[in-house]
Amino acid sequence: MAETKRKMTCPDCRVEMNHHCDKLVYATDVPPAGAIDPNLGGFIEEFHTCPKCGSGASRHA
Amino acid sequence: MENSRTLFIPVILGTTRMGRMSLHAARLVTGELSKRNGVETELVDIANLPLPTNDAGEAIKHADFSFKVSKSDALVIVSPEYNHGYSGLLKHALDSCLKEYIHKAVGIVGVSAGPFGGARVIENLLPVMRELGLVTIFWDVNFSNVQKAFSAKGDLADESYIRRIDKFLKELIWMAKTLRHGREQISLD
Repeated sequence: MAETKRKMTCPDCRVEMNHHCDKLVYATDVPPAGAIDPNLGGFIEEFHTCPKCGSGASRHA
Repeated sequence: MENSRTLFIPVILGTTRMGRMSLHAARLVTGELSKRNGVETELVDIANLPLPTNDAGEAIKHADFSFKVSKSDALVIVSPEYNHGYSGLLKHALDSCLKEYIHKAVGIVGVSAGPFGGARVIENLLPVMRELGLVTIFWDVNFSNVQKAFSAKGDLADESYIRRIDKFLKELIWMAKTLRHGREQISLD
């Protein structure tokens, strides 16, 4: 079973944000060690949105 | 329950050319949007974005443009058709953001001096919108023979555009509300 990642928290509202998108990024820069998914050829950036204020945030998966 | 927060839908004017007729179209659409309850809008003119041209992409992100796109629920892009394509400076401005666009709606207004109303530039913009993470609607507004659609002062000379803009905006607002619900409430996991 896949590990469940910690939810992001909105810095303003202090509520859990909703993870609604994964984007595959093909970086030309040197990525952080282990960031590249060898099956996808790039790294995944997750996008999260606060259900209270609508602000967005992202992080490397 | 419907989210009661105001929708923010800026209108991006995608040309810097002197004498651009697209300015009249952008002002008209911004005015029609501002009449809608629950919608806040603003005309964002790329001519006012001091983006450097010795670099590109997110490296030249403009703080105010980034903030407005981040805050938005949808975008309207008003683009003239130059040699069947969009202006290089529009693409330059759009490429300066990325995460700001994800899962938001976009509607495109095409403008041309000829009879096709920017149909070709709209088609050319669609794959760009998709890669930016924007969700396109299937209503467009096409300003054909734009020099006849507005007076020299910029007043609308053809009232039939109001009906078309109304249909376009209804679809865009529906998509903006739907995608906001999705971003905020529907988990990918």
